[in-house]
Amino acid sequence: MDDLERELEPHIDLENDSDSSEDNSSKGEKKSKFPLVKPIYGDQTQQNGFRRTTSMCRERIREAMLHHRWEEAAEYMVYYPQILEDRNLFTAQPSKEFIWRTATEIFHHHPNSTMEDYNTIYERMKHSGFRHYLMISLEHSFHLLLHQQIEDAKRHLASAESWRHGKETAAQIQNIKLIQAYRGLLDYIIWCDKKSTRSSSDYYESDSNQTMQNYFRQASVNLEEILKNPGVWDCFILRYVEMLEFYEHHKEALQVLNDYAYDSNFPPNPNAHVYLYQYLKRQGASEKRLMKVLKVLHALVPSHELMLEYSSLLLQSEKQSDTQKALGVVLEMLDFNCWGSNLEVWIRLKAVIQKLQNQVDWENIVCEKMAERKDWWLALHLTSFHATKDSKENPELFEVKASLTKILFPDRPLKYSVNGSQVKGKAETKKRKGRRY
Amino acid sequence: MDDEHTAEYTVPCAQCSAVDWGISDEGRFYCRSCHNVIERTREVVDLSFLKLSSRVSTIRGPRKKQAERGHVWMVCEGFQFILKNQADALLALGVHPQFKDDVLCPLWRCYLQKSRQAYTHDPVRSCKFRVGAVGSDLESASEGISCTDGESNPASTAGSNTENSGFWSGSSDTLTYLSARKKRSQSLLSMKKTLSLIYLALVWSREALTLSDLLRLVNEGHIPYLNAYEQLPEEMKVTGKDSLIFVVETVPSHHAVHKEAETLIQFLQLPAFPPISQQTLLHPALLSLRYLSDVNLPDELHPWVCRLLEHTGMMDQTLHTFDPHNHPTLPRYDVQAAALIIVTLKLFFCLDDMTEWHLSNDLGRQKDSGKVFNLRRWYKVMQAALIRAQERRDQNVSRKQWKSKKQIYPNKKEKCSMIKKKRIAEQVQLCFEKLTSCPSGLQDVGPSSFIFCWGDEEESDGPSLHHMKLDEVVTRRYDFLTPLNDMYWHPALRRCLCYNSHYKEVEATLPRSFIWLLQLFAFMLDVKPFCLYEEVLSVERRIFDTRLYRGKSKANAGASAETAGASPEAQASLNTRTSPRRTRTSPRTAEASVGTRASHRKRQRSRKS
Repeated sequence: MDDLERELEPHIDLENDSDSSEDNSSKGEKKSKFPLVKPIYGDQTQQNGFRRTTSMCRERIREAMLHHRWEEAAEYMVYYPQILEDRNLFTAQPSKEFIWRTATEIFHHHPNSTMEDYNTIYERMKHSGFRHYLMISLEHSFHLLLHQQIEDAKRHLASAESWRHGKETAAQIQNIKLIQAYRGLLDYIIWCDKKSTRSSSDYYESDSNQTMQNYFRQASVNLEEILKNPGVWDCFILRYVEMLEFYEHHKEALQVLNDYAYDSNFPPNPNAHVYLYQYLKRQGASEKRLMKVLKVLHALVPSHELMLEYSSLLLQSEKQSDTQKALGVVLEMLDFNCWGSNLEVWIRLKAVIQKLQNQVDWENIVCEKMAERKDWWLALHLTSFHATKDSKENPELFEVKASLTKILFPDRPLKYSVNGSQVKGKAETKKRKGRRY
Repeated sequence: MDDEHTAEYTVPCAQCSAVDWGISDEGRFYCRSCHNVIERTREVVDLSFLKLSSRVSTIRGPRKKQAERGHVWMVCEGFQFILKNQADALLALGVHPQFKDDVLCPLWRCYLQKSRQAYTHDPVRSCKFRVGAVGSDLESASEGISCTDGESNPASTAGSNTENSGFWSGSSDTLTYLSARKKRSQSLLSMKKTLSLIYLALVWSREALTLSDLLRLVNEGHIPYLNAYEQLPEEMKVTGKDSLIFVVETVPSHHAVHKEAETLIQFLQLPAFPPISQQTLLHPALLSLRYLSDVNLPDELHPWVCRLLEHTGMMDQTLHTFDPHNHPTLPRYDVQAAALIIVTLKLFFCLDDMTEWHLSNDLGRQKDSGKVFNLRRWYKVMQAALIRAQERRDQNVSRKQWKSKKQIYPNKKEKCSMIKKKRIAEQVQLCFEKLTSCPSGLQDVGPSSFIFCWGDEEESDGPSLHHMKLDEVVTRRYDFLTPLNDMYWHPALRRCLCYNSHYKEVEATLPRSFIWLLQLFAFMLDVKPFCLYEEVLSVERRIFDTRLYRGKSKANAGASAETAGASPEAQASLNTRTSPRRTRTSPRTAEASVGTRASHRKRQRSRKS
């Protein structure tokens, strides 16, 4: 029995992670999140025959699944469900989840499985106990969605939404929110369908307009509701904003995005600022507003690709301090290796420095910014290896970088040059020799 | 309010399989958990019709069936039926008919009397239930088994007073059985005890069935044990708390049944058993022959086992016969026979991970090695068969269906949820059965005394080695045939004070081939390796140190004096010192000889050259 718990714990854990943060704090300490190792059958003297059968059966199912022997796994699944009849709720409860998850997984790979099988398992396991009802409903509708049965999926979600059982636990509330969210999303999908068919037919057809409006209203009720809850709702908010924009509810859209980005209850989410920025840009907002959004994003993710736009906005501004800021932004981008061989960033850096050179004490400013980078930038961007690589793959980049090296490191001996390739070649041969001994 | 109308309708909902019916305002049945409305409606008793029309006398609601209780019966009657079924199954398997009538039946009566359930003026029963006519009831309880086709006449005279109490069960005296105090003091029957009773009867009638055979037959379903209550006659309804007595979720282990049988002997105060002479199949002399052929060892080994028996004085039938005065322990015949074979193999091949392979190597070089028994060849054949058999058994274990189709509901509250669970399990099962198109349940295997099958047939486990000669591993010395190998090792033979086996601790220090042999026989008999190990030790004690064995109490006293006041750690270290020790096989030199190994090696090498 212990063995069973041990094995099923991670499943429970998984669910807790996504469902209720409250339960986690109490249970989290004693449970390890490492992947399962093969459980040892342990003391079989303490197990009774029934437990031994079920645990061995489960072990065999697992083994067969790990080796992708789906037929064999399905064969053993014939014998496993008897565990549901176990009078000990402690073992029966987690096994429900095991059956549900394994069964769907086996169906997914089994050549003979039909949609009906899925439905049977989902329906049966859904009703086998209240604890997993919402989770299974949600997954059931996901599965229906995969098979393009959007209406069915929506129906299942709707019935799950109205389902209540006993005292609402934290996990239940979380799941209900998810279900609401996905219902909204489904309404959006149908709305999109309607939109695409409408645009091809008569634009002013009031009937389809009306139904679209209905779906919009249904979706917006759900989506608006869930967006009030702190969390990461990226894919939902985008759809919501898209619909709001379509009906020209600009004020609400802006409000939603602003809340999503700036509400301190929400977890810090760079995407929120990206969405807000993109929305503002679409709406043609002033540069000042755009820069304000990007400034926050910069603080969160200095390596974000939007930082290029931020630096260009800063460059365009009249203020001198903004140019310095632009220098900071670009340099910080280059602190990250992913931008190291990006031509655009280096060109931007060159542009910034060129603009900066109009100022009197530009050298001091550059020196100041470079002071903390002196030690490691050379190794990060400007070795002889980089030089050969750049000159070979991207000569333009090589030129830009080469022109910048003197400015960035006026008092350092530099290896970033074409000659460097020869030096490097020598080093290579030396190494090879060394290996031979 | 609905409950009284819906209570009897226990068909699970078609949609969600719940059994939780309500009645809507329109009088229709609906499922409370998924709100599915079904065809069934509540039939309304409309009394207004009565006055208007004389033709329609009454429209009745659904006839409220009296919960069918059948006869009132006692728990021991239930057990009697189960025992009868088990005995019948054994008869069908070829056990002598006398077993049932002349052995099991008197044993059962003796048990009933000793446990004060029948044939007594002072019957055991809980004070809560006074069964009307106690005497006649108990008479009938014990009648059933007295004739071979024994259909009992259960308790027709007993008062049906279960109805009045709030206690819900089919039998009338379940509560007696369930009160822990009584259970302890009266040694009342349990499912496990039916097996030990059958076992005792088998030993008494000197049948060729050992305990491990019995348990194997039970495990394979040839003898009713799991869900045995299903075969009770229809009038005996098994319900409610009866489940705690009759539903089993495990087949007891060899050890447990044996222990239970021993306590049962004590409880029944049985006289001496019929002697297990050399001619009976339970005697190690014959039982070992059976095991030898089951593990594909040459028949020529059997005389050697018999010589070992003689040498250790184990031919004596008194050693194998239970006698309350002379030999008050019930021997484990199967384990003992296996231990004797292991010791014989050790005599021949030493089994120290070296000697046996050297011997096999020597054999392999000879010309006519085809007819000579080669341990390596045997090991290869046996190991392959063992792995297959183990896989087969594991497969059967993991495919065993434990839950019966006919459920017992422990109480009314749980009934609904159990029906629902059953239904869900069945549907999931059905779903997968359809998918795999494989029949549920175990494939029926015919009952057999043998685990392995040797020979040239297609389904055999490998070639038969039964006719192999032992010529090359025996030698003639002083006109006696003796094994060529003259080395023997054994673990420390001194008995430890504690009753636990130290097998776990010494396992790592023992030679692998010896452990493998233990595991092979442990698998065959379905016992734990440590049981077998202990039995091997006791045989070795007989060989080497008769004083240690016979003067058991003395040795124990000495050991206790030695370890008196010692801390548990000290005791543990004492135990771990049981590392293998080597001795010469010559029983005349009982002391351990040290350093023979090197000389032995030398001798071998010289033989090779």
